[in-house]
Order: sequence, then structure tokens, then C-alpha cells
Amino acid sequence: MAGIVLRQVTKTYGTLRVLNGIDLDIADGEYLTLVGPSGCGKSTTLRIIAGLESQTTGDVEIDGRVVNEVRPSRRDLAMVFQSYALYPHLTVRQNLVTPLQLRDMNFWQRIPLLGYLAPGRRAKMSKIEDDVRKAAETLKIEPLLHRKPGQLSGGQRQRVALGRAMVRNPAAFLMDEPLSNLDAALRVHMRAELSELHRELGATFVYVTHDQAEALTMSDRMAVMMDGDILQLGPPDEVYEDPRDIRVAEFIGSPKMNILPGRGDSAGRITALGVAVEEALAVPSEGPLSVGFRPEHLHIQPADNGACFSGRLTYKENLGSDVFLHLAVEGIEGKAVIRAKPHEADFADVGEDVWFTGEVGMARVFGADGKRVALAEPQLMRKTS
Amino acid sequence: MGRSRVHLWFIGPAIILMMGLLILPVFVAAVLSFTDYNLGNPSFNWIGVENYDRLVSRSTYKKMFTASLTYVLLVVPISVALGLGAALLIASLRIGGELYKAVFFLPVMATLLAMAIVWEFALHPIVGVVNDILRSGCDVGWLHALLSGSWLGGDPLQSWYGHACAEDFPLWLGDKNYALGTIAFIGIWQGFGFNMVLYLAGLTSVPRELYQAAHMDGADSAWERFRLVTWPMLGPTNVFVVTISSIRSFQVFDTVEALTRGGPSKSTYVMVYAMFEKGVKQNLLGIGSAITIVFLGFVLILTLIQVYFVNRRVHYA
Repeated sequence: MAGIVLRQVTKTYGTLRVLNGIDLDIADGEYLTLVGPSGCGKSTTLRIIAGLESQTTGDVEIDGRVVNEVRPSRRDLAMVFQSYALYPHLTVRQNLVTPLQLRDMNFWQRIPLLGYLAPGRRAKMSKIEDDVRKAAETLKIEPLLHRKPGQLSGGQRQRVALGRAMVRNPAAFLMDEPLSNLDAALRVHMRAELSELHRELGATFVYVTHDQAEALTMSDRMAVMMDGDILQLGPPDEVYEDPRDIRVAEFIGSPKMNILPGRGDSAGRITALGVAVEEALAVPSEGPLSVGFRPEHLHIQPADNGACFSGRLTYKENLGSDVFLHLAVEGIEGKAVIRAKPHEADFADVGEDVWFTGEVGMARVFGADGKRVALAEPQLMRKTS
Repeated sequence: MGRSRVHLWFIGPAIILMMGLLILPVFVAAVLSFTDYNLGNPSFNWIGVENYDRLVSRSTYKKMFTASLTYVLLVVPISVALGLGAALLIASLRIGGELYKAVFFLPVMATLLAMAIVWEFALHPIVGVVNDILRSGCDVGWLHALLSGSWLGGDPLQSWYGHACAEDFPLWLGDKNYALGTIAFIGIWQGFGFNMVLYLAGLTSVPRELYQAAHMDGADSAWERFRLVTWPMLGPTNVFVVTISSIRSFQVFDTVEALTRGGPSKSTYVMVYAMFEKGVKQNLLGIGSAITIVFLGFVLILTLIQVYFVNRRVHYA
């Protein structure tokens, strides 16, 4: 078990810079997710931790030891790959045995056939068999031990890949999009299993995904990466509730946050789409702003009370428990999405104009540079208005 | 109401061509192999298995099988190993790989008959460049010592090189002890580039993530990764390369025809050359056909072995 620290890690390929100085402090036993769109540098970061790629500058520390020059196998990490990367010619049991043999046996003991004559092999082999049996028990793959990977389903292969990582009892697990090759139902199921496994093992997990739902549901903390930077690092709740950057706000959450173009004025008042928003800037300044509301923080109104946005309902997406209303709103690209309860959305028909308001206190306001802008405390706001 | 016969028009041409060009000639050869038919004779006699009996009893044909099998056993392992080695080295290069590919593939594309003539000059015992170079080493003291093993304290005359310096260098193609080896060397030189290309194609299909998994699992040396990932993943390629090389080696003809004509004293009398000599030059179609049928038998066995491995042992998908 160990913590992992990255200090000012950069990576360039020729003239292309893929990581701009990553700082990351992963605690012992933590489940940390690196999440971001493809090409953001999250997989590169993971592979630098693993040692499969070397950073251009910066340091990687594992358990307090700088490992920049240490081979992948000596870093005491295990990796689960997107394709599982099981050895196709070996049975499940042999797949699990291989990393232990490579670690614990010397060259002579590993030679096929002749190795059986090498001294000390039998004792080591029985210890290895024990470890393999334990891992297989934990993952419930004992009936599969004599099959080859080609005879397994996706979920079973996933489990064997986890098993191969587990047998060595590594300091940390690195996972590179391990669930993305599974079908939707199995993915949701494996999410729960992985979280459970993490609790059971108490090991450090570093998990890379492009799926914000996986990041939100599984991790202790998540790091949202874009264009080679970590934009925000924090617990999932915090990242969802309190995005520090408009790119984070739009990436995390599904359907994504509605961004309404707005303005601030010298008195600190904010308007969005020309309608006054009941919030004020902490530091008044004149200029364009972006006002973000999550779908659940927009509410449809039966009539225009003068402080409403309006849009034409183009599509009602009925999920049973909720209805997503897709609105074409003048002034914003794409559609605004409102999450409503079915009975609230009853009266609205596709093709009609509907009015809606943002929930007080739920606006997330971003400046022209995309960074969050501080808002005045609610009490202050009332005094000024 | 009759069934439509239009399907016959679709499959008919293919069947007629296959029968006429492939099955029928083999059948005719099989029939002729039981006769004493000579080209030009008005008739022939059925002689049963006499031709086959000759193949196993006469010393000429024993030499033929020895020559063919020795050639195959020399050329196949060496050209496969060299092809794999070259492919692994080229695949590990960052730059220059294309150049090496082109260079090693050149002999494959070149006309073997023309190349054979060049080899004939190079291997000429008196004016050939090969013996010239070897001879010039005899006068360089340290080189002579190194190659003859006398630097280890051995008697230079006991070694191949020292002995050859004192007497003379081999006649290569004119010496029955060297001729088949020399022909095999040319076969390897000509053929391993083809194997290299096949292996390069095989290597590109090995998933990168398997190598990374091997790294993580502790396969630190290149040899460990080769054993754990590369070699097993090349299984299907291996079967194909070995089969193709074996069949091509059984088929060796042009170098033999151009350089040795089966000699000296039948040391390079390989099967296809024997077919040509008996069936074409001497018009003895009966015995020529018998050799052909045995030859087809060898190729069939090789193909069946390949099919067995492809289906049973090396299929992972």
C-alpha cells in the first residue's frame, strides 16, 4: 500500500505538449479517478505513473521514493488494461501465475520442464498456487481457471485481468478505462464490484476514464483533466456542485449544464439572456459572463412573470422517473435541457413556447476566461436590491 | 416443371477449368506412373509399381531423396530463423527499417536464374571473388591465426581454414561435399527476405498492450518478453512461414539447373530436377510421373500438417 505523488510532470512528443506540469498527490488507499475527454492526457499520466512512458520533466514518487529511473516491474504497481491484455495462449491459471513466477522465481526455475529440477521451485510454486487460489476465490473465477481467455465472456475476462493485477498484492492498482469494452448493464454492475473490491483490498486505485458517470459514482476524489492540465481535483460532490472552470461544469454531469450568455454591470448585477438573475457579483465589473444552470435547477413556469426565460419545446425525453425537456432558446447554441418530474411537464407540448426560471442560489457564473466568478453572499445581495 | 439449370452455368466454367488444368494432369501423371510410356512411343505397357520400386531401390533415387531432404532441412530452419531475427531487429528500429527491408527483400524479387549466374562467377574456384577473399586472408598473419584457431594453440593444419590455405579452397559447386551446401546457401540468401516480410506482418498484429502487460508483470528482459508474448503470438505466422518455406525448398530447381545440373555425382540431384531430367530431357514419362506423384505426396503431407496446426494448436481468437 502506498501513496503516489506527481510533481510538475510534463510530457512532450516532439513539439506536441500533452502534459503541462501535473501536480497530483494520491493518498494511500485512495480511489482517485482521472477523467477527461479523449486526448486530454489522462492515459499518458497513468502510463507515466506505471513507468511505461517516461516523463519529459518532473518527478514521480511512490511511497516516498522517487521512481523516475525505476523499471515498471520494480514499481510494485499493477495495471488493468482496456483490452485486458491477457496472454491468449495461456489458461486463466497460467495468466495469474505468470506475474508471480516472474517476480519470485529465478531464471532457472522458470525454464519450462527443466525448471522442475531447479532447487527451491516446489516451495515457491506451492506458495504461488496459494496466492492464485486466493485471488480466484475473491473474484469468483475458480471455475474458469482452466479455460483460455478466448473462451471467456467480456465480464469474465475483466475479472481475470483484475485477478492478474491482484495476485501480486501491489502497492497500487492502475486502471486504464477497464470498463469501456463491456456492455452497458455489465458496466454498471462492474462499477459496484470495483468499488467493493477497493474497500475490501484497501489499496490505492488510480482509475482513468472518459465517462464522467464512472468518475462520479466510484471515486473518493476525481481529477478533471483537459488539454494536459488538471482543471479541478476534488471529491465528486464538490466537482459537481462547485465547478471551478466552465469546461469542468460542462463536462461533468449528464445532461450537461446549461450555459446562458449573460452580462455583469458596474453595480454587480447579472443578467442572462437579458433577464435579471437574482444573484450579484462579489466584485462588480462590467463585461460578458456565462451563467450556468444544471438541468435540475431550471424550473418551468406556467406563465411569464416578467423574470422568465423562454424557449420552444422541441423534444420531451421521458425516462419514467424524470422528463428531460429540450428547448430551443434564442441566444444559445444547442438546446437547453430542463429536468422535470413527469407531472410538472404535463401541460407542456412539443412545439409550444414554455417559460422557465433558474433556481435561486444555483447559478454558477463564469467569467470571459472560463473561470468561476465569485458571487456576493445572499444577504448582501438582498440589501443591494 | 423442370428445375432451373442456371446454377450449372455459374459453377460450370470453374469446374471445367479446375478439372482440365489441375485434377486431370495429376490424374494422368498418376496413371502414367504405372506405365513405361516414353514420349513419342506409339504405345505403352502397364508395369504396375515397377517405377515406384525403382524409386526406393535404385541408388540414384536414394541420392535424390537425400539431396532434397537435406536441402529442405538446411534451408527451412536457417531461413526461418534468419527471417524472424531480421524481422525482430527491423521492428525494433526507429529509423532505417525501410532500407533494411528493401535490401533483404531484393534477392526475393530478383530473377533467381540471373542471380545464379552471378553466384557462379563469385564461386568460381580460381577467379571467383569468394575464394579470392578467402585466399587473401591466408597472408594476413593475425587473421590466419584467428580463423585457423592457432591463436588458441591448435595446429593450423587441423582446422578447415588452415588446411584450405595450405592445400586450396574448395571448388564449391564442383565438389560433391560442398555443392549441396552451396546451393542451400544461395537458397537461404534468396528466401529469407520473404520470411522476414511475413514475420514483419505477423509482428504488427501483436497488440502493444500485451508487451506493456508483460513489462508490468516483470518480464524485464527482451528474451522474457519474446518468450511470453512475441513467440506465442507469432504461432499462426510460424506455421505459415515453415510450410511455405518447406514447399518452396522442395521445389528448388533453377539454381540446380543453372549451377550443377544435379551433380557432382548426384549430390544435388533434387526431386524437381530429377523430374525435369527424366520426364523432359530423357522423355521417360513413366518414371518422371512417379517422381511427381511422390513429390505431390510430400507437399500434401506438409499442407495437412499446416492445416492441423492452424486448426488445433495456434488459433486463439
